[in-house]
Amino acid sequence: MAGSVASFDEASSSVVVSATDVTKRYTRGTEPGVLGRLLGRQSPPTVCAVDSASLEVRTEEIVGLAGPSGSGKSTLLHLLAGLERPTDGTVTFRGTDLASLSRRERTRHRLEHIGIVFQQFHLLDSLSARANVALPLVETGVGKRERRRRATDLLERVGLGDRITHRPRELSGGEQQRVAIARALITDPELVIADEPTGELDTEAGRTVLQEFERVAENRAVVLASHDRETLELCDRLLRLRDGSVVDQSPPGGSQ
Amino acid sequence: MKIRELLTRWVGFVALGIRRTALRATHTARQRIRFSGLGVAVAIALLVMVTGLSVGLATSTTVYDDDIDYWIVPDSESPESPLVATDSPQFSSVHETNDRITAIDGVESSTPVLAQVLRVGTNESDEYVLIIGVINSPALEDVSGLNTDSLTPHDPYYGDGEYNGTWTGDAVLSEGTAELLAVTTNDSVTIAGNRSFTVTDIESQSSDVGNVPTALVQLSELQHVTGATTYDQADQFVVSTSSPAVRDDLEGIYPQSSVQSRGEMTASSTRNSDMALALAATALTVALVIGTLFVVTTSGLELVADRQQLAVLSAMGISVGSQIRLVGAQTLVLTGLGGIVGAVCGIGGIRLINAVAVRTITTEPIAVVSPWFVPYGTGVGLFVGLLSLPFLVVVTRRVTGGKLG
Repeated sequence: MAGSVASFDEASSSVVVSATDVTKRYTRGTEPGVLGRLLGRQSPPTVCAVDSASLEVRTEEIVGLAGPSGSGKSTLLHLLAGLERPTDGTVTFRGTDLASLSRRERTRHRLEHIGIVFQQFHLLDSLSARANVALPLVETGVGKRERRRRATDLLERVGLGDRITHRPRELSGGEQQRVAIARALITDPELVIADEPTGELDTEAGRTVLQEFERVAENRAVVLASHDRETLELCDRLLRLRDGSVVDQSPPGGSQ
Repeated sequence: MKIRELLTRWVGFVALGIRRTALRATHTARQRIRFSGLGVAVAIALLVMVTGLSVGLATSTTVYDDDIDYWIVPDSESPESPLVATDSPQFSSVHETNDRITAIDGVESSTPVLAQVLRVGTNESDEYVLIIGVINSPALEDVSGLNTDSLTPHDPYYGDGEYNGTWTGDAVLSEGTAELLAVTTNDSVTIAGNRSFTVTDIESQSSDVGNVPTALVQLSELQHVTGATTYDQADQFVVSTSSPAVRDDLEGIYPQSSVQSRGEMTASSTRNSDMALALAATALTVALVIGTLFVVTTSGLELVADRQQLAVLSAMGISVGSQIRLVGAQTLVLTGLGGIVGAVCGIGGIRLINAVAVRTITTEPIAVVSPWFVPYGTGVGLFVGLLSLPFLVVVTRRVTGGKLG
């Protein structure tokens, strides 16, 4: 009995983030006011971006989200990151329901626990690679010297030790994405979320970035959304989405 | 969060804002940043030019010089002013008082000053000129930018309370006055149409000490010409000293008087001139309103255009407060730089106005140039930034956390 409790705790503690029957609906347009209703204006139509999706992501696991454009991959990522609140269902991070947190608390939560990598890198043009990577540490109140040291270390780890003073425009797409990965890792998050991380890269640059993701998964969970087969083959588990619903969960080589 | 971490965060984002603006201005968004800065600079340049003109208006008859440290002026607010004049209060018994001032330890030179705008004539022309009466002494070098060497020392026409000494008729003219009257050294001129004076010297006058045609004469002779002999009157005293402690002694010379330094003198002259004060205040208000509207519009539009970047910062976990600090630092750097550029351009504009005025309308510069216009312009620029901040805070709050592409 005691052993089964222990094993349950062990299993649940390794779950970093989970979504249970999560639904996200968007309203097209604005709700009618009192006058609008009196005049017979109808409520605007809603679009269901994610429909009752459930998943669990554990430490050292890379979970891929696959599906055509508009299938709800990015919305599900945003829900897992706490960027948006679900219309129904719950998203919990280490047992905490993200919907119970205020907007400010969710922002702090992302800073401390989640690293995000975007398809279009979204680096600040006017800052050097090192300053971009160190940016989240400014928010955590880390001193300048320590920020620089940690950012330089991370850039060296992603193979950009000789590019630390370069600005994004002076870097190739692959290099920019590696800077973005370093930025996502600078606060040592438990969960890394990547939305089409190789979408803007050529094959060779994409492979280099994927190698980084393999290393990223050590001691943390990774959820990435992609169309790219090579990227999805990196994943331990694949969720296929269609019209907002999870239609299949399988290893990457599984059913298409 | 500990205070130290909060402070590091504050300093970090402010430094980041400064660095980001500098790099955007020089590398990544040159045109946009320069355009925004230019708007503030134009408003500040106009402010500085109008202020220079209004200070010039207000102080056009104020006797300035580099050697003058203190002015003793009648306290016009006091109902018991020691004075005797009808339109503006004047000091009495000034020759005797000047002897007492000169005897104070640390006073290098001192003279009462009587300034009157009078008609000065030659056989061919007749012009209004600012006539300044002084008591020359070996230590007194310049008054209102004109060298006093060629005035006979110690005002010989006055002696022991009587106006019966030797009439010198000395007159030192500024170049502008000499040009206006078409006279040279040793020529004769008449002041107020009744007494003849001889031009003993013609001096070039620097632009920051006066801006009307000027002439220096002996105090007692000017008093005689203008009828100010009854009480031995003068408008003020100018004192040169190497010791700031002298100020206390000067305070006690006349009961209803005030002792003013150069800055205080300029400020009080401007304050007491309704026209100049109105001009300067209007220019300040217009600069603040135009500058703020410009910054609010350009920075607001820029924030809306940059909302994707704010959304990214939000996604990374950068709080709205920190984003506001970043935006605030960027705005203040921009408006501060705009203020500096505007002030420098404004000073250039004043020099241009003076050059044009001297060539076309007057013989002397009409606007005052002061290095203080640079900190003034920068300060107003920063204030414009501060006035814009509440709106930018609202815009930042509204646009941050939007959809990520």
